[in-house]
Amino acid sequence: MSSELEQIVNSPGLWLASALMVIAVAAMAVIFFNTGLKEAKRIQIPKERYGAGIRSAAISAIGPSISPVIILLSMVALVGAPTTWMRLSDVGAGRTEIAVISMAANAVGAEAGTASFGIEAFTSSLWAMALNNFGWLFVVLALTHRMDKGVELLYSKFDSKWIKMLLAGSTLGLFGYLLTSQLISRTSSNVNYQKIVAVLAAAVVTLIITKAFPNNKRLKEVSLGISMIVGMAVAQILFK
Amino acid sequence: MDVQNKYYRTLVKFGIGAMIYACIANFIPPIYISAKYGTFPGLSGIFKLWGLVAATYGISWIVQPTAYFPTVGVAGSYVGWLAGSVGDIRMTSANMALKSAEYEADTHEGKVIANLATCTSVFVSVAAIMLFTLIGGRVVPLLPQAVLDAFNYILPALFGSIYIDLLLKNPRGGLLTIACIAVILLFSGNILELNSGLVTILAVALGILANRVIFVYDKNKSSVKID
Repeated sequence: MSSELEQIVNSPGLWLASALMVIAVAAMAVIFFNTGLKEAKRIQIPKERYGAGIRSAAISAIGPSISPVIILLSMVALVGAPTTWMRLSDVGAGRTEIAVISMAANAVGAEAGTASFGIEAFTSSLWAMALNNFGWLFVVLALTHRMDKGVELLYSKFDSKWIKMLLAGSTLGLFGYLLTSQLISRTSSNVNYQKIVAVLAAAVVTLIITKAFPNNKRLKEVSLGISMIVGMAVAQILFK
Repeated sequence: MDVQNKYYRTLVKFGIGAMIYACIANFIPPIYISAKYGTFPGLSGIFKLWGLVAATYGISWIVQPTAYFPTVGVAGSYVGWLAGSVGDIRMTSANMALKSAEYEADTHEGKVIANLATCTSVFVSVAAIMLFTLIGGRVVPLLPQAVLDAFNYILPALFGSIYIDLLLKNPRGGLLTIACIAVILLFSGNILELNSGLVTILAVALGILANRVIFVYDKNKSSVKID
């Protein structure tokens, strides 16, 4: 990246323009959190129970929040800090954003990460990321309140036991997909044995914590963090 | 029930407002740079870019929010899709919070806890991204290579831990679902050439189908016993 472009992509104006979206994300989380907290108090969920939930959520979010750091640094090198900050704080994951940057640069005859990536390619990338994220935002805006009514309708029309199982089945399907897609490459059907070891080690630790210490609430809150660290360590040590 | 509905109506009201604001904020950086440097690609350029991203991600725009909705609900959809990382951060945190607070996901209490958890996970991830954007370039090179390599195993370990939790609650459904999805993924690359959005919806359908098979099997078994 030329030094002139580097100044543009890290300019104070772009930091400000990017901040508007990060503010939206943070403000929405604050508003929803306050609304949830009020409701928790109104329906008399004991403080220690929702407190345990909040602590556990915070601890569990640390690991997966750290995991995109490498891709974050590559993205900073491609499009600068403000855009990376904005786009990784909102809708798409790092790998999606990098793929979009690459496509948008190609569309104007440039290549991301090379000298050919100038202001025109950067503008094209900004538009492409915005258009891609808009797809998700628009669908969520248009469909969420309607889907909620759809679930209510299902409960009123069908056996409620079956609908509970249907919802549980969709959760199993989602996590099953997220898990297996980590292990099996969809494009080459290759199985990644190192990652299988990480999965098994983490699963065994979770199993031990759940079965051997069922009443230890503090341990339950940090169980995901412990399982994750053990899974990573075992895979790294065995395959270093 | 009315007061409970008021809670959901409040979430929907704030959710719609925030999404409209986010849709506008989303376009401010490209508009700002285009205007300041005179590099607006023109309407034809915009349509060309839209075509490119729609061809690659268009199916996911529709399929993912729809497929994730039964699991993440109203609060998780608005907050989760705006902040992103729904599968690896938001759902994981909500699941762990429900486990720690000891509520089921499909109860009103469970939905309130999942909302608090999703928002908490946004505070953590937004802070982490801000920190890494500002100081990551200086700190990460100082870490030993073994630690950086181990980052590759964060997500597999995370999903391994979460899935075993779900499997303990529903062993038959859990085993049947993961076996079916593994078979689909093993063959989808070469034979089915499926888009990842389609594979997601297929996986959700398989999870539901597996539970349907178990539901019908148990129902038949209990009716045979009664006969």
